[in-house]
Amino acid sequence: MNAPETAALAALAADPVLQTPELTYWQDARKRFFRNRLAVVGLVVLLFFILVAIFKNFLITKGYNDLTSNILKRPGDSRWWLGTDDQGRDLFTRVVLAIGTSLSLGALVATFSILIGVVFGGLAGFYGGSWVDSLISRLIDTFYAIPYIIIGIAMISIFGSKFSVVVSSLIVTGWYSTARLFRASVLQVRSSDYIEAARATGAGNLRIFLSHVLPNAIPAVIVTMGFAVSSAILTESIFSFLGIGFIEPKPTLGVMIRGARNYLSSDPHLFFVPGGVLMLLTLAVVLIADGLRDALDPKLRGAS
Amino acid sequence: MGSYLVKRLLLTVFVVWAALTLMFILFYVMPGDPVELKGGEKALTETVKNNIREKYGLNDSVPMQYVHYWGRLVKFDLGNSYQNDESVNHTLGQGIKTSGRLLLFGGIVQVVGGLGLGFIAAAKQYSFADKFTTVLSVILQAIPVFVSGLLAQFLFGVIPFKNHWGWLNFNIRWPEKWYLGVIPNGNWKGIILPSIVIAIVEMAYLARLLRSSMLEVLRADYLRTAAAKGLPRRTILVKHALRNAIIPFITALGLTLVSIFGIAVQTEGVFSLPGLGSKIAEAAIGQDAPVVLGLSTVVILFAALLTLLVDLSYGFIDPRIRLTKGDK
Repeated sequence: MNAPETAALAALAADPVLQTPELTYWQDARKRFFRNRLAVVGLVVLLFFILVAIFKNFLITKGYNDLTSNILKRPGDSRWWLGTDDQGRDLFTRVVLAIGTSLSLGALVATFSILIGVVFGGLAGFYGGSWVDSLISRLIDTFYAIPYIIIGIAMISIFGSKFSVVVSSLIVTGWYSTARLFRASVLQVRSSDYIEAARATGAGNLRIFLSHVLPNAIPAVIVTMGFAVSSAILTESIFSFLGIGFIEPKPTLGVMIRGARNYLSSDPHLFFVPGGVLMLLTLAVVLIADGLRDALDPKLRGAS
Repeated sequence: MGSYLVKRLLLTVFVVWAALTLMFILFYVMPGDPVELKGGEKALTETVKNNIREKYGLNDSVPMQYVHYWGRLVKFDLGNSYQNDESVNHTLGQGIKTSGRLLLFGGIVQVVGGLGLGFIAAAKQYSFADKFTTVLSVILQAIPVFVSGLLAQFLFGVIPFKNHWGWLNFNIRWPEKWYLGVIPNGNWKGIILPSIVIAIVEMAYLARLLRSSMLEVLRADYLRTAAAKGLPRRTILVKHALRNAIIPFITALGLTLVSIFGIAVQTEGVFSLPGLGSKIAEAAIGQDAPVVLGLSTVVILFAALLTLLVDLSYGFIDPRIRLTKGDK
């Protein structure tokens, strides 16, 4: 090998474009996520709420429907440190239990609506243009045409306001936006060159879907998951606030805020305690989802 | 344009048909029998029960009921309430006035505010208005409208008029004209605060969207050319950047107009406004199926019409779409 060739090779080896990245995609994503200060704050707040929900039995000493006081207490009392509501029930107990309900509901709804959305959206995108795609797309269009509150109203008034019914109604109102999003991203992946290459080597539909299409769409799924959790928590509180979701005496944030409406001027803490918790909880989830979106975006890779 | 128009119309017709059929099925299985709702504690004889069922057409087979539903719908008769026999058309007439006013004013605030804030945020990137819009839209993403509505009531209603909280001791009584729409009293002022509340969520989102699409356009080469040939910045911003960035704004606006119903229901709940949303929620709690179905039908029709209008408006705003879609 002569000298110019060696020099050229050395120059090539030093070319930043040709370097193998030091970090894998996921390591890089993790690094970028933890550099995002707002996302980390969101994560800390969410972890705090999760811990509260897990250790609720150590935190609460009263029943959520026990009439522990004769009068409505303002916050700051030594026995009722968040005060009591109009029926003398301990606000702290109810909020702690409501956090648990919101979190478990958010996780359940997000998991299932993403699962259904991925299956339907994936099928529609993978068979894009065929009758499968038209069928699923028209179904999605139909659901988009009905305001989600009306679907929720219908389902809950048919099956009653049980936990399982509220969860299923939230899944029914949540899956189709994921499906539409996932269909679009699968369509995009499907038309790329590496899928063409895989097809040329004789890979079957299932193999292509599982080993090429799905892994490339996973970051999008994770980000959607974050937003699905926050929208499930919000939608539950909206349903309950309107009186069509959970109902008294079940302690959920929406039910508590519904009860606080008439006390806004005399005892605003009845609104601010559950309202503040709801805000912090969903803000934390949204910040995490925002952070994940930036961290998992391959275009921003390597940027800090 | 012609074939696109036909395709789009067919899709709308299909979606409306499918949505209403789905609603019909849902409300057919919904509990709430007019017999139970009317009878109350009294025990009714079989004949009376039968007569009541007959009156509401509940003795027919399901397919016949479905045919009757469409037959009535074509004549724009939405049926009668199980609870008080009132015609749903009448209830609709009562609710639509409040809802219409709310949506009209809310829509105006949303469009004007979204356009204005987004434009300023893009024109003066990193300025106060820009940061304000970003922070506002992130926070509003996390607050449901009923919470921001109650918060608004507290800030503009309770604080100025009640001074009894020790740590919030404002010793000012604000003049009567500050009493902007805190209590809806039929007066037009009563609609101001609810309109702002209804508009603010999507307004912040629209502003952020307009900002990012305008910033993208502003980086384009032809705008550097425009600046180089000496066009004033105002012309560049309004005639070039805004005009080119408005399409995603219109798309998003169309989507928000559909979702505005969900927001309107909450706003009506917070401000105790007797609009369509609160009437539907009330009827659902009372298991009054015809009222829920009838009013939902109107909402679905309205939403479908709006979506269609927004879709068709692209062609008028952006000539490029008119050309490319016509080719297909």
